[in-house]
Amino acid sequence: MHDRHLRSDEIELLLDGEEGFGVAPLRAHAASCLSCRQELESARELMVALDSLPDFTPFVNFSDRVMSQVQVFEPWHAAATRTIEPFVPATRPARIAAGFGAALTAGLATAGASWVVARADMAFILTQLGAEGVRDQIVAASNDVASTVLGQPGMTAMQSGSPGLAAVAVGGFVAIVGMGVVGLRALATTSHRGR
Amino acid sequence: MQTLDELGTLPDADVVRLAQQGRELAFRELVRRYERPVFSLVFRMVRDRETAEDLAQDAFVKILNHIDKYSPEFKFSSWLLKIANNVAIDHLRRRRLDTISMDGSLHASTASEVEATTLNLASEQESALDELEAKELGSAIERAIATLRPEYRACIMLRHVEGRAYEEIAATLDLPLGTVKTYIHRARHELRKALEGLRD
Repeated sequence: MHDRHLRSDEIELLLDGEEGFGVAPLRAHAASCLSCRQELESARELMVALDSLPDFTPFVNFSDRVMSQVQVFEPWHAAATRTIEPFVPATRPARIAAGFGAALTAGLATAGASWVVARADMAFILTQLGAEGVRDQIVAASNDVASTVLGQPGMTAMQSGSPGLAAVAVGGFVAIVGMGVVGLRALATTSHRGR
Repeated sequence: MQTLDELGTLPDADVVRLAQQGRELAFRELVRRYERPVFSLVFRMVRDRETAEDLAQDAFVKILNHIDKYSPEFKFSSWLLKIANNVAIDHLRRRRLDTISMDGSLHASTASEVEATTLNLASEQESALDELEAKELGSAIERAIATLRPEYRACIMLRHVEGRAYEEIAATLDLPLGTVKTYIHRARHELRKALEGLRD
C-alpha cells in the first residue's frame, strides 16, 4: 500500500490495465484513497470520451478528386490473365480436360515443329551439295573456254601468276575478240548491201 | 470482374492485390474504406477543413500511385495512416502552426527550459477562424487535443479514434514502443489538465 497519492504515470499504468509487478499496490491504494479514486475515474472518463470521438467525413466528391490524379496502370501479366480468363472453363473437370487438351496440342505442335526443322536441315544439306556440283561444272567450263582462247602457254602464265605473261595473254585475248567483232560486223554489212 | 459491393466484402490485402492488377474499382474501394480515418487524422492535425482535404488527397494519391510498391507483410491501413501523418506533419513544419505543447519542449531538461518553451494558453488569442474550427471540431476535448504537439496528437488519434494497439502505432509512426507509450501517457495527462477547468 502506498502512503502517497498516485502520480500521473501510475494512473496511466492502471488505465492501460497493466498487470506487471508493482501494479497491485497502486490498485490497492486507488481503492482506499478517495482522491486517487476520483482522479482515476476522471481519467477513465477522458478515455471513454476519446474513444467515442467521431470520424470526420470529407466532401462528397473526395473520391473522384483522388481518382482524377491516380494513374491506374494494368501490368502486362494482369492484362494477359484478364484476356485469357473468359476462356478458362468454370468447373474443375472441364478445366482438367482443357488442360489435358492444351498439353496434347502443345505436344503435337512441338513434334511437328521438330519434324519440320529436321527436314529443313536435310534440305539445306542437299541444296549445298547441289550448289557445289554446279560451281565445279562452271569452273571447269570456264577453264576450257580460257584454255581454248588463250592456249596452253596463256593458261600456264595465268596459273603461274607472272604479270608480264598474264598481260600478254589478256592483250591477245582482247585483240582476238576485237578482230572477231570487226569481222562479224563486216560480214553483216556485206550481206545487207547484197540484198 | 467484381462490383464495388463485392469488393466491399474482401479483406484489404485482396483489394490491394486487385488494385495492383490495375482494377480501378479496387482503387475506389480503398478510398471509400479509408477516406474517413485519413481525413479525420489529418483534419485533427491541421485544424483546417480545406487544407485537410488537400493533404488527405495528397496522401491517397501518393499511396495509390505507388500501390505496386506495397508489401503485404505490412498492414495497408498502417501504411496509409503513416503516409497521411507524414504529410500532415510536413505541412505543419512548413506552416509552423500552433504546435507548442502546454508542457514545454520534449527536449527541455531543466525547469527553466521547460518554462521557456511552455505555452501560456491564457495569452493566446484565438482568432475567429480558430473558434469556427473549434466549433466544427465540436467540443472542449477537441480544442484540448488541438493544443497538443503533433506527435502526441497523432498518437492519441491512432490510439483512441482509430483504436490501434500500441505496437501498431509504433510501426505506423516509426517510433519505439516505449516512446509511443510515453507520448500517449503525456498526451492524456495534458488533456486531463486542460479539461480540469471545465470539470470545476
